[in-house]
Amino acid sequence: MRKDQSLGEYLFAQGVSRRGFLKFCSATASLMALPPSMVGRVAAALESARRPSVIWLSFQECTGCTESLTRSHAPTVESLIFDAISLDYHHTLQAAAGFAAEEAREAAMQENSGKYLLVVDGSIPMGNPAYSTFAGISNLDMLKETAANAAAIIAVGTCAAFGGIPHANPNPTGAVSVSDIIKDKPIINVSGCPPIPVVITGVLAHFLTFGSIPDLDELGRPKAFFGQNIHDRCYRRPFYERGQFAKTFDDEGARLGWCLYELGCKGPTTYNACATLKWNEGTSFPIGSGHGCIGCSEPDFWDKGSFYRPISAGLWGSREALLGAAAAGAAIGIGSALAARSRKKKAAAEEAKSS
Amino acid sequence: MSTSPASLKDFLERLATLGKQPASTAKLSDEERVQRAGNSFLRELTNSMAVDLETCIHCGMCAEACHFYEATQDERYTPARKFDPLRRYYRRELSPMRWLFRPFTRKVDANDLREWQVLVYDACTGCGRCDMMCPMGINISELITVVRNGIASAGLAPNEIQALQDEQQNRNSVFGVEADKLRELIGQLKSRQIEIPLDKAKADVLVLTTAVDVLLFNDALAALAKIMNRSGANWTLSSAAFEAANVGLISGDTVAETGAIRRIVEKAKALGAKTVVIAESGHAYQALRWEGAEDTGAELPFEVLAASEFMARELDAGRLKLKKAQNGRSVSYHDPCRLGRHGGVYEEPRRLLDAMGIEHRETDSSERENYCCGGGCGEYVIARAAPLRQKAFEIKKREFDKAAADAVVTSCSNCRVNFLIGAENARWEKPIESLVEMVAANLAD
Amino acid sequence: MTLLDFARGPALQLSLVILIAGSLWRLVGTILLNARKDLSRPRHKSALADGMKAIATRSLPAHVFEKRIRFQHFSGYAWHIALFVSVLFFAPHILFFESVLGFGWPGLPNGIILATAAITIAILVALLIRRASHPVQRLISNADDYISIVLVIVPLVTGILAFAHVGGRYETLLAVHLLSVEAMFVWFPFGKLMHAALTFPSRFQAGSSFGRKGVRA
Repeated sequence: MRKDQSLGEYLFAQGVSRRGFLKFCSATASLMALPPSMVGRVAAALESARRPSVIWLSFQECTGCTESLTRSHAPTVESLIFDAISLDYHHTLQAAAGFAAEEAREAAMQENSGKYLLVVDGSIPMGNPAYSTFAGISNLDMLKETAANAAAIIAVGTCAAFGGIPHANPNPTGAVSVSDIIKDKPIINVSGCPPIPVVITGVLAHFLTFGSIPDLDELGRPKAFFGQNIHDRCYRRPFYERGQFAKTFDDEGARLGWCLYELGCKGPTTYNACATLKWNEGTSFPIGSGHGCIGCSEPDFWDKGSFYRPISAGLWGSREALLGAAAAGAAIGIGSALAARSRKKKAAAEEAKSS
Repeated sequence: MSTSPASLKDFLERLATLGKQPASTAKLSDEERVQRAGNSFLRELTNSMAVDLETCIHCGMCAEACHFYEATQDERYTPARKFDPLRRYYRRELSPMRWLFRPFTRKVDANDLREWQVLVYDACTGCGRCDMMCPMGINISELITVVRNGIASAGLAPNEIQALQDEQQNRNSVFGVEADKLRELIGQLKSRQIEIPLDKAKADVLVLTTAVDVLLFNDALAALAKIMNRSGANWTLSSAAFEAANVGLISGDTVAETGAIRRIVEKAKALGAKTVVIAESGHAYQALRWEGAEDTGAELPFEVLAASEFMARELDAGRLKLKKAQNGRSVSYHDPCRLGRHGGVYEEPRRLLDAMGIEHRETDSSERENYCCGGGCGEYVIARAAPLRQKAFEIKKREFDKAAADAVVTSCSNCRVNFLIGAENARWEKPIESLVEMVAANLAD
Repeated sequence: MTLLDFARGPALQLSLVILIAGSLWRLVGTILLNARKDLSRPRHKSALADGMKAIATRSLPAHVFEKRIRFQHFSGYAWHIALFVSVLFFAPHILFFESVLGFGWPGLPNGIILATAAITIAILVALLIRRASHPVQRLISNADDYISIVLVIVPLVTGILAFAHVGGRYETLLAVHLLSVEAMFVWFPFGKLMHAALTFPSRFQAGSSFGRKGVRA
């Protein structure tokens, strides 16, 4: 897409009909829980949007977030939108490499100073700057440098939002999230491991439309997508209510599509849009495929015990510890009884002596 | 034959002289009293009492079983409250978590002991009805007894009780009944053709009578003698140990209690007696049968039978033959608490009544749930508690009236006295009879 | 660490340790005090059977007693039974027990559990009012009695709120519910909730000590 083309010009040039374009705008508006009256505004904004510069920094990540976002076989409107931003720097997707890539980045930062969007995936290691670098620059320095003149930061994926898998116990690299480092810029956390593709485009669309970030919850995630938990929108909820649970992955209950609470589903404590938007353009989501939610959009979800341990089982420690507690209690009890008995004996002896 | 009102009056006058002198323990300081009470608690506490003290859930159902609460609706008489001094002592001194509980548990002081004197002497006869009610299975009466023993150790037993106990401990007599009085009565009965062996050198059966029988219910002693003679047993009374009553059990002085038991055990051993029969007395049975061995530290070398047990056994063995009563009177049998609930003797009295063809009409509460006569073994001597006892008596009176038998029969002389006092005050006409007298009157010729 | 992580993790660990150690301390320390040596000749030599029987029969008082305590008797057992059903037959709870014991058991439909929990709360509140107003109970009750009953009511209420997702974010409701249960665990060995364990030796002792005299305790 030419740099001076507006998004609308670009789309129509690609053969997207006006109707198709408006359909997408309606869908996006409703995704973000905007009223129908806003569709026109979304359409107008997107149509005339200049391609904003986007710099995408990948730190300690697995590239899963990028994979998720680019998972489309046919050109979809989402992918066209993706093309419709000026993705001026992206390790995986860019053609350039080496010094040329870094130069392109620096040029984009200068040209669009104060206006570009910084997208980050992966966590930042604080243990030793050498754990993750590119072009000889540590992630920490790169982040600070790039964030300084960004309009806003989108932390894509649970690693960038909360530290993710590198942050999991024992966190050998000292991994932290973007918001642990950058305190003076608006940050939108789009968590998930990986996040749902349309959640990203919805956030971008909001930014393009209103020039501002959407309403965020107390973890910095857009409420439109992370405002409800999986449990409340799960289609298997009636089985939970009735107390019908699958006990193994291939028993009768599993085959009948019963609730997966007993198999460790973290739906009740996980906030994401999987149960409504689903994955692979609405095909399914983990619960629909018979596996409990692992809570991947929540901080520290790797450290909450086994994915297969039910929420109510708690993390009470080991059976040995409890047996040890029993032994300790019994020992103290024996001690106190013996002390009492010897006191009684002493008193009896004294009485016998004096009488 | 029933007791004439005149001799009851004499008896009550004798009782009224008790406790007019200050108790021997009047000079103790408060610290000494608290110390002695504590030592008494320490000495008596066992693990089952500890479990009981830990288990009370303050449900208050025990109050609904207590005749004193029922008669007055006064919540201070709640049985679970009556052992509170013991609970507090235990929690502070012996409970497994005493170090944690001590800051939150008030120490027992002399004022507590004084306040509780009324609760555990006047307003508790140790009847054990609360024991049967408690959903936790707490032996409440036992705990109250321990409190009573502690208060007695502290020298705070009521004057009348203290006086009785001093008498039994120092002069080996109760109500002034010494061996001479017994000999006098035996002489009188001999002139009525009733032979009572006294002080045989050797005998199989040692019989114990009570001061109440000697003073008041002579006919009961006569009847028992008749039955013993008819059964052909080799029996005797002993002038050194004829008293079944154990004031130590009532007052709470364990030394006195043990002393009285020892005298009996020694005499029985000396006689070579294999059986001791206790004339109609509830607490005496409990003292010797169930606590005597522990008091002396060794198993008793003889069996202990209540009069009704002995009679039933002789009946079964064919050594005692009874005829059917001719007068067609129905009776309600009153289970004395210490004989029934605390003694286990329910069935024998009823079997004897059946053998005599006497219709018995049970009161609503009987056997294990029977209401106490209200004056509990010796506590009718506490003068200030008379109004309270009379109120409690009304409960028994209602029960008997509802059962509508012609007479009340029981097998405890103290219950008999209580009923007579109660009946007189309430102007209640129902005859109060003795089981032993009834059996003696129906011996087959 | 979120509140829920704390409630599910360290708080649960500590409260379980206190519950188990404290209960054994109190039980063992009580039972191992001096035993009474009863040297009298028993009328019945069936102490064990009498003791075990009393554990059951004390729940069935004689008629002349029962008619005087009818309200407490029925409401007492009703709320205990309803509580046990709510605690032991609710699926998420069974999963907790399974994780500790190694085995679970079938549960009841959630609607039934909701009903039993509501019944339990209603009866407990009624009994709390009775305790504070009836002369006998008011006189003999202490702080422990009130704390204990509140510590049983709060988990029930917070459990229902969490179950119904009423009153806040789910993970907060769940955390509060778990913390209220843990508060009860911590109090259990030190207060009168221990009667849950003590009833057994206590009733047993009543049965065997009266039984040896030939009296049905």
